[in-house]
Amino acid sequence: MKTIQKLPFYALIVSLFVFTACEPEEPVVENDGEVITDVTLNFTELDASGNPVGTTISFTASDPEGIEVGASPVVQTVSLMKGKTYRLDIEVFNAIENEDITEEILEEADEHQFYFLGSAFVGSSAPLTYVYDDESGELIGVRGIVTVASSPGFNNAQMRIVLRHDLDKNYPGANNPNFENFVMAGGETDLDITFPLVLN
Amino acid sequence: MKKLIPYITVFLTTLILAFPSKAQNCNLSIRGKVIHLENNQPIPGAYVWLEETKQGVVTDLDGNFLIRNLCQGAFNLKIQFLGHKEIQEKIDLASNSFNKTFRMEEESFALSGVEIHGHRDAVQTTTAVTALYGEQLLESRGENLGESLKRVAGVTTFSTGNSIAKPVIHGLHSNRIMILNNGIRLEGQQWGAEHAPEIDPFLADEITVIKGAETVRFGPEAMGGVILVSPAEIPTKSESKTDLYVLGASNGRMGNISVTHQDGFKSIKGLGYRVQGSVKRAGNIQSPDYYQANTGLNEINFSGALGYTSPKLGAEIYYSFFNTELGILRDSHTGNLTDLQEIIANGRPFSNVGFTYDILNPKQKVAHHLGKIKSHYHINSNWKANLQYGFQLNQRQEFDRRRGDLNERASLDLELFTNTLDLFVDHTHPNEFSGTWGLNIIQQANSNIPGTGVTPLIPNYQMLNMGFYGIEKYSKGPLEIEGGIRFDFRDVSTARFVNNELEEVDLNYSNFTAFLGAYYQLSPSLTFSTNLGSAWRPPNINELFSQGLHHGAAAVEIGDQELNSEKSLKWVNSLEFTSNKSTFELTAYANRISNYIYLNPTGDTFVSLRGTFNVYEYLQANALFYGFDFSGSYEFTSNFNAYVKGSIIRAKNTDENNFFPFIPSDRMDWGLSYKLGQEKKTHKFTISNQLVARQNREPDFDLAPAPDAYALFNFGYLRQLPIGQNKLNLGLQVQNIFNTSYKEYMNRFRYFTDDIGRNILLKINYQF
Repeated sequence: MKTIQKLPFYALIVSLFVFTACEPEEPVVENDGEVITDVTLNFTELDASGNPVGTTISFTASDPEGIEVGASPVVQTVSLMKGKTYRLDIEVFNAIENEDITEEILEEADEHQFYFLGSAFVGSSAPLTYVYDDESGELIGVRGIVTVASSPGFNNAQMRIVLRHDLDKNYPGANNPNFENFVMAGGETDLDITFPLVLN
Repeated sequence: MKKLIPYITVFLTTLILAFPSKAQNCNLSIRGKVIHLENNQPIPGAYVWLEETKQGVVTDLDGNFLIRNLCQGAFNLKIQFLGHKEIQEKIDLASNSFNKTFRMEEESFALSGVEIHGHRDAVQTTTAVTALYGEQLLESRGENLGESLKRVAGVTTFSTGNSIAKPVIHGLHSNRIMILNNGIRLEGQQWGAEHAPEIDPFLADEITVIKGAETVRFGPEAMGGVILVSPAEIPTKSESKTDLYVLGASNGRMGNISVTHQDGFKSIKGLGYRVQGSVKRAGNIQSPDYYQANTGLNEINFSGALGYTSPKLGAEIYYSFFNTELGILRDSHTGNLTDLQEIIANGRPFSNVGFTYDILNPKQKVAHHLGKIKSHYHINSNWKANLQYGFQLNQRQEFDRRRGDLNERASLDLELFTNTLDLFVDHTHPNEFSGTWGLNIIQQANSNIPGTGVTPLIPNYQMLNMGFYGIEKYSKGPLEIEGGIRFDFRDVSTARFVNNELEEVDLNYSNFTAFLGAYYQLSPSLTFSTNLGSAWRPPNINELFSQGLHHGAAAVEIGDQELNSEKSLKWVNSLEFTSNKSTFELTAYANRISNYIYLNPTGDTFVSLRGTFNVYEYLQANALFYGFDFSGSYEFTSNFNAYVKGSIIRAKNTDENNFFPFIPSDRMDWGLSYKLGQEKKTHKFTISNQLVARQNREPDFDLAPAPDAYALFNFGYLRQLPIGQNKLNLGLQVQNIFNTSYKEYMNRFRYFTDDIGRNILLKINYQF
């Protein structure tokens, strides 16, 4: 009788000592939410009073596998007309998750900012001039105005576009879209793409 | 006259015995070693009496004794020690001196487990062993495990900032050394450089470092050495003891409280318990010129144990919980190679922040549960059967700076279950042999918790490791010889998705390991030990399967499923000298590792929309590690004392004839201390100086050159004060007195920031 009363106790001991093997979970496909696969530059020509004219021309940089090991990104050549002014809208997209990252950038406007660098924007003979023109008035660079010089010194240049995340926007100089020392403002780079530029 | 009779008898007998030889030989001696029958630990202070000559001696700290100038003849030797059965032995001294190891059996179990003598090593081995306990451990309180262990010569840290420090023994770390939490091998995600050991140093009463290859005793991976974090013995009788620590540090405004309480139950003889808990909070660390952004930490730890001891049976239940949340230096997370190069060129973080306790992303959250049941049964006075089962659950979450809702989700979320089972028998015989035979099983299951929004770095896997081993030791007087063999078999099965297709891999590894060691007491003050041991380590999951971006490190890492097991042969020699005024210890070693796995920069870069990344791959090569560590102290007067310790390591890739990254540079530490006041009521002042050389043996590729040599000065004050039956210890330490800016080669954050600046610590310990 006594043994029977103690049975649960023995059972507990035995169950503890019998190797309670643990099984790993079945793996699950994980979609990369942070990845940017497509960046599109939409140029819309503006007339003298700042109204859009004509059709929007788009140029893309895409990397279907994101930042995983694989193929290099495909970057199109940007082709613009001399002496014209364009509105530049940047679209950022994650094709893996089918997610519009532009919205997220606008939601976290205080943490994100595009910088426009390379020989297209920087230097005394740089053919392009960029001015932030975001709808919220904050300096983000999702929308801006690009002015092409009417007689540029050269017609082939490098357009380097950098998206910084978690930077200090109040850092002296950070409000300049062509701020070459953007790293000084802290944060990290989410995008760093160099588009070849041809001017006609 | 009556007193003289034995002498005359002895004289006559020896005369008769000696007669055949030409002259009377009175240069003989009896040497011996006295140890516990149950656990082979030496018994210092045992009384040894020689009836015939009326000579008495007391064993030294290692349990050794020596009686000299004996003539030939028969002697009756008696050994006595409190709570132990007296040993009587008849010895015939002929032409040779006599040597023997005596094993004393405990008489009353009530005394077992109570520290009735000085320090004893947690493991009896012929390899070099160093332990942190008592005053040294007291001084290290408040530091993490890695930092505490820097007090042992030959141990350095491989760190990621100031809150993540992995111990390095003789140049090896992570999965090449082993950490035991109260006898259970700690199984966390040790493969990562930024994964600190999940253990609270406050639970330890003693931390022991074994500097030899101890795979046979402890299982695969114990290649460079073993660290044993051992709590105090559980009381076997009612004897309440509480240990309270309150600590504060100026740098990071750290606060730390720990309480340990232990007692025995009156109602049940032999039953006792211990509970321990600690809380730690710190904010941004300060380098001499700036604060390091987001370097705070929060830690809550708990452990409890219940133990029962009877003459035949011993049992223990133990549970420990480690829980930490720690911030990672904001500037160390870089988006791409350009970012990384910019901050390295800058030499310090770009961010300018003030002090805060807040922890933001990037951060880590780690919880580690460890449960253990241990029991032993004395089959008879010579054989003991042991059973130990351990269960561990390690939960690791790493958060990166991400957009939107993702910022709230961990980008690495792992859950690792580990079961360990040890079944072994110990035998100790009154003759010269003792040993251990056993079976060891480790079973592990690792899962990625879904929902991270990041392709997992390592697959889900199941691992089973079985090992059989035997160790035998032969002891005779000052000599001990020890040898052991082990066979291990490991099966690993993994599963993960690659491009939306399930990939399952099954891998098997097996290996023989063996060791041979000896310990010899050359004289009462000088001992020599040597140990030659082989070890192995199957490749880690990350080394096999990594495939992708190491977030924050701007590196793409590529694993190799074809990697072979690492095999090593380590030879450690140690010479130890102890006299009244001085101590000295020298440990020299050579460790030959074949198929050493390392992360090699391919020189290629990988381009993405995010920018450029360096590509690293896991390769194997033959490696040779060698070097020595030394430590010593000298007492000028009873108040004035000096110490020195240091280590030198050389590590080479012998295939490529170049150097591996992150090998500690040459270093030494020396100091002077002055003691005031009477015994147990002392004021102790210590001034010390730490010298670290530049690592001139750099790998062919590194993101930044090795930082310059540096020298730091530290001050310490320790006041010991008895209050009635209780004891109060007050400590004040100033680390880096001159607020020197420096970078340590072994700190991965040397690329981004200077190391920690001046730190003033106040430590209060009350034992009641």
